[in-house]
Amino acid sequence: MATAVKVTGVKRKKQAGNFWLYVFLIIVSLIVLFPVEYIILGSFKTNMELRGYGNHLIPTVWVLDNYKEAWEKAHFEKYTWNSLYMSAAIVIGSIFTTTMTGYTFERGKFKGKKILWSFIVSSMFVSLGSLTLYPLLMIAKVFGLNTSLWGVIVIRVFGLNVTHLYITRSYIRTISTEIDDAAKIDGCSFFGIYRRVIFPLLKPLISTIAILEFRAAWNDYLLPLVFTLSDKNRQPLIVAVIKLKSTAGEGAAAWNLMLAGSSIALIPMIIVYLIFNRYFISGLTAGAVKG
Amino acid sequence: MNSCPEKSKRNRKRFSWGNDNVQIALMLFPMMAGFFLFTYVPILYLVRCSFFSSNGFKEQYVALKNFARIFTRDYDYWRAVATTFILALGKLAVQIPLALLLAVILNRGLKGTAFFRVILFLPAIIAGSIAGLAFSLLFASYNGMINGMLESINLPAVGWFEHTGTALFVIGLASIWNNFGVTMIFFLSALQTVPGELYECAAMDGITPVKRFFNITLPMIGPTFTAVLLLGIIGALKMADLILASTNGQPSGGTEVVMTYVFKYFFGYDLRQTEIGYASAMAVVTAFILALVALIYNRLTRKLANAFD
Repeated sequence: MATAVKVTGVKRKKQAGNFWLYVFLIIVSLIVLFPVEYIILGSFKTNMELRGYGNHLIPTVWVLDNYKEAWEKAHFEKYTWNSLYMSAAIVIGSIFTTTMTGYTFERGKFKGKKILWSFIVSSMFVSLGSLTLYPLLMIAKVFGLNTSLWGVIVIRVFGLNVTHLYITRSYIRTISTEIDDAAKIDGCSFFGIYRRVIFPLLKPLISTIAILEFRAAWNDYLLPLVFTLSDKNRQPLIVAVIKLKSTAGEGAAAWNLMLAGSSIALIPMIIVYLIFNRYFISGLTAGAVKG
Repeated sequence: MNSCPEKSKRNRKRFSWGNDNVQIALMLFPMMAGFFLFTYVPILYLVRCSFFSSNGFKEQYVALKNFARIFTRDYDYWRAVATTFILALGKLAVQIPLALLLAVILNRGLKGTAFFRVILFLPAIIAGSIAGLAFSLLFASYNGMINGMLESINLPAVGWFEHTGTALFVIGLASIWNNFGVTMIFFLSALQTVPGELYECAAMDGITPVKRFFNITLPMIGPTFTAVLLLGIIGALKMADLILASTNGQPSGGTEVVMTYVFKYFFGYDLRQTEIGYASAMAVVTAFILALVALIYNRLTRKLANAFD
């Protein structure tokens, strides 16, 4: 009897503890969501309300004028299209280059494999971020790719994302080589095994890579910025939105466009995230840290 | 005469599309060329340019003059380096404990964990530049919502972007908001590998939750912790988008970090004169600083060696 009382006591204490944990999580969640709500709800406010002293999140009058203006007058139609084709090309292209390279390194037998792989792995430690933007632009210039988003696409697709390559190789390692051998006996060549056997087996991995590449491409700012410095019409969304900020400054001139533009950049990303969130998270944990 | 057809036959066999070695070469070449061209060639290019003086059109060999300028005259560069470190350490001092705390809470198996995980990770999918823009609008002096809220509870409005300290505070906040989700997910996945029996034993011994955290959880996720911290440090030192999109180095260079500082010399951005050679030299020095940080960190922890298998 005594122990039973004690157990329920512990349980009640635990439940009270859980209650405070929920309170904490809800407060943190509200703070975390606040900037997103601010942008999206702000994009429906009238210009007058935005210029005034704003202290409430919900628009007093809901309008679509900002989107209309962004879409028609500020050419966001064009920028959205630029973002879309750039992201699509990078996602599709890098799926093929990443899986093909991962497969060749995992299953192929060739001279210099270890050295090449060590170059790839060590590049994870020498990545210089935005420091290499200028050399990349100059290299692209040699191929005549320095003034459009195709330069960005080629760099992202053929430059290989080392983390994704690493995930791919580990994933292919888990596929039994007996399958390869069987296909070889049936007359498949090295490439044939990739195309007919391995590639179809990589579906879950491909979803993960596609999602991560989409996020990176859609959100990319500096690389597309320097490739479209000469031609405004080729800018992707993010570059165009941030440019509004630097040209208008802190004055309220372009707030409505900035908010509408940011929302156009944000909403597709959030929708993709809400549908595929498990791939975002599994991709991250598979790639970056082991143990 | 006789050997020729045989030789060409053998040659034909060697170069057939069906040959495995030919296929491997073809499947590898475009990507390896791209990889070296876009990863290692830029580094060599920077090193070469750092010995020249160039505005993008004319260039002249100047030996080590660029480096001499960095180390003797360019006070602003070192100020940017210092700002970078202050910002990185300041924001990680909040981000890492916050992410760890949230991960520990999410790891308790409460109902609705999946929901909270999706919400808390949401900022991590948003572009750093958009995060910078959002926070610069939120904290804007005249029509920003934060000042509006401060005034509505009778507190004075703050000119957030007029002082270096407050501007760095807002940038740090934006960066924490943008990045804590990734850190949290890393910690969460590490926590899930800690065997439950350890906690059961601890419960039997009557250990307090705080003690349990420091004596069991933290040592068990130690390797992940050191790796995540390094990723966090390097990521924070390389911050660029967020700052270009929010303060753009203002007020008067107070929030200029090393990446944005060098970027502006390369591209003549923000009304600065283009100086490719000098920018390259700064890039080389910055790369050394980054490598040095990683090296010192590695020495200090000595546990990172197998983080990337």
